Amino acid sequence: MLDLFARNRVVTLVLILALAYAAIGAAAPGYLSGATLSTVLSSSLVLMLISLGTMVVILTRNIDVSSGSVLGLSAAVLGLLLNAGFSLPVAIVFSLFTGALAGAFNGLMVAYLGIPSIVATLGTLGLYRGIMLVMTGGRWIEDLPQDLKALSANLGSGFSALSIVVVFLIVTLWLFLRKTRFGRFFYAVGDNKAAAHHLGVPVRRVQFAAFVAAGSCAALAGVVFAAQIGFIPNQAGNGIELKAIAVNVLGGVSLLGGTGSVAGVVAAVTFITSIDSALVFLKIPAYWNDFIAGALLLSVLLLDGRIRQLIERRIRARRYAIHDRASAHDTKSSTTRIAEARR
Amino acid sequence: MKEQAAGRVALLEDIWKSYGAVPVLKGVSLALEAGEVHALLGGNGAGKSSLMKIMSGLIPANSGRIEINGRTLTHASPALAQDLGLYLVPQEAHILPNQTVLENICLGLKPSPRSLRPRVEALVAELAVTVDLDAQAASLEIAERQIVEILRGLVRDARVLILDEPTSALTPFETSALFERVRKLQGQGVGIFFISHKLREIREICSTISVLRDGVIVLSGPLDEHTDAEIVEAMSRVQLVADGGTAKAGRKVAQIGQPRLTVRGLSGEGFRDIDLDVRAGEILGLAGVVGAGRTEFAETLFGLRRQSAGSVHLEGKELKNRQPRSCIDHGLVYLPEDRQQNGLFLEAPLYWNVSSYLIHRLPFFLRSGTERRIFDGFRDSMGIKCTGAGQAARGLSGGNQQKVLMAKCLSAGPKVLILDEPTRGVDVAARNDIYALIRTLAGEGVAIVLISSDFDEIEQLADRVQVMAFGRHGGELSDAISVDAIARLAFGASEPNHA
Repeated sequence: MLDLFARNRVVTLVLILALAYAAIGAAAPGYLSGATLSTVLSSSLVLMLISLGTMVVILTRNIDVSSGSVLGLSAAVLGLLLNAGFSLPVAIVFSLFTGALAGAFNGLMVAYLGIPSIVATLGTLGLYRGIMLVMTGGRWIEDLPQDLKALSANLGSGFSALSIVVVFLIVTLWLFLRKTRFGRFFYAVGDNKAAAHHLGVPVRRVQFAAFVAAGSCAALAGVVFAAQIGFIPNQAGNGIELKAIAVNVLGGVSLLGGTGSVAGVVAAVTFITSIDSALVFLKIPAYWNDFIAGALLLSVLLLDGRIRQLIERRIRARRYAIHDRASAHDTKSSTTRIAEARR
Repeated sequence: MKEQAAGRVALLEDIWKSYGAVPVLKGVSLALEAGEVHALLGGNGAGKSSLMKIMSGLIPANSGRIEINGRTLTHASPALAQDLGLYLVPQEAHILPNQTVLENICLGLKPSPRSLRPRVEALVAELAVTVDLDAQAASLEIAERQIVEILRGLVRDARVLILDEPTSALTPFETSALFERVRKLQGQGVGIFFISHKLREIREICSTISVLRDGVIVLSGPLDEHTDAEIVEAMSRVQLVADGGTAKAGRKVAQIGQPRLTVRGLSGEGFRDIDLDVRAGEILGLAGVVGAGRTEFAETLFGLRRQSAGSVHLEGKELKNRQPRSCIDHGLVYLPEDRQQNGLFLEAPLYWNVSSYLIHRLPFFLRSGTERRIFDGFRDSMGIKCTGAGQAARGLSGGNQQKVLMAKCLSAGPKVLILDEPTRGVDVAARNDIYALIRTLAGEGVAIVLISSDFDEIEQLADRVQVMAFGRHGGELSDAISVDAIARLAFGASEPNHA
């Protein structure tokens, strides 16, 4: 039972999530409904995309703190093109391309020029936000066309066009990381770079690809943001990169690289977003949100840490117990082993 | 001649390599035939590891040509070298701690780990080792990690294998199983470069030998044509005492003094009910195979692990609730087994490393001059080769790193010194220096507990031998210390391992 918790942060999270929902449902009847689910889903999209992109980078033992700025920059490109009269598909393609390019520049610096990722992306955090401000002249972009906003409209089943895209992306990323050879490389590079290089894994290409993926995800988050809000403020996406890192930690992605799963991140994003919506429902003033989210994050991590310690101790005890049992009848077996070895 | 050309699996022609202005390889040429086990020797800094890295595509050469299986290694790429059929089994295994053993073995291969599983299982059975393929690699012991590396090479069907000190972490039992496997591969026409510092092993398994010194091959040819003395001389240019037995005989037993360390009924993780006595000036060999619980025992003595029963007395005073710091203060000092992980501060300057056991006794404001003087004293007396006291420990060769570690232990002024595998991965010359140092220390009255899996080493150095087997006391030898007698006790068997 404990082993299950140890292996999967997801299980702990889902359990706490279920308990929290049950408690809120009891306190505020009517919370548990399809409408709530739909709200949580749609308000989680931006954080979901940023967190998934960040996760891919963290897996390779790097970090990306520029994703909030990439979101803002891509959204600005989208807004400016739309207001200049370009069609929606063209604007979206250019916006995504901007994100990929921004990610590629991060990747170039980290993978090929050897700049530590925290330094490189701190630099581009400022740089990309600066480019956005220069492009917009410091003004908000408003009057976005209706067909953009329609992308985030409920299609009837509680899903919008954009949420379908995001769900599709989640499944693809999960399959890619779990089931493909190249996906496995992301774990390998983060786990032990020297070993991966030694075994012929193209370490730099993998690191580069991770940043491009993160940039593209952030750009898609920019499109979702613009579609949902309907305008693009200067500060679009500001600070979301830190929230995404917190989500990754909560979802069991090790900041030291090499471990983590899409399911964990999805569960963590749902958890964080649910807190926001539940507080609204419980009529707790909005200024409590950050306090409660922070406190919950810490308690989950503490609990998880304790469980992990407990399990490690048990695994160790079991290992030495086997050792003791083996030593009881080893005299005979070692003799035969030596005899075998001499043959 | 024609036949030879057909059987050639690897060819190196005139390899040059320099780091900055410092040349490490000056025109090295080597050939490896199918089915040949070719010993490659050289002291620290001879260029051995650079040559291996170039061959396996990890670093580029400045000039020269490498041919594997008749095809040229066109650029430095480990993937290409492996495709051509060459695999380097490194001395320190490359492990991905968060993945399973099976995934570790199969990483980088086209077929999925699941489909390769039967093949890996067959290889495991053939090698007669026990490895849990589904275990997390982080839980593997050093020897098990080495086995993972060897399995990686085997599962890749390499035609050329480079084994870089493959036995340094293996037990005698595992070593003989590995040699069986090497002979089988030899029969299948695989060519093997075998790097080792143990001449005895080289004699057992190799047919050809090449010795590198200062980036040049100074001796090459069939192994039978060269004596041990010739080989050692070629390596170091200095005549060395090949056999340390004489020095031991010179030391008088009368020098052995009062009891220093007395352990009674100590139990803990991985060992049970161990008694041990060491006197001043005595070298006690603590022998056993990997996994016998010796390191766990030493770590418990030093307060790194919790004990479950027993007592430890140092000069008649009981040490309760031991912590590393209190042990150091009382004069009980431990030199850990894994120098990269537990011993050295790799990025820190050498003098920080040496003074790190002393740090509690230094004044609040550290004076680097004092620390540097301490280091320089050890550097001269131990012959540590470095650019200066400020050099980072990472840049030193294995033998010199080990000397720095010894200096660190000595700076604490030990009364009892526990040395855990002090010469693993150390070349012959540095090894002899360390042996001499251990003898000198004993002569000065330090009580020494020497933990080693290398029974030759124990035979050469120890005044008395205590053997641990399967976490328990396995026997004791005070005279007639021989490799055979130790092996017999270590395996708990009635016949010796090495014939």
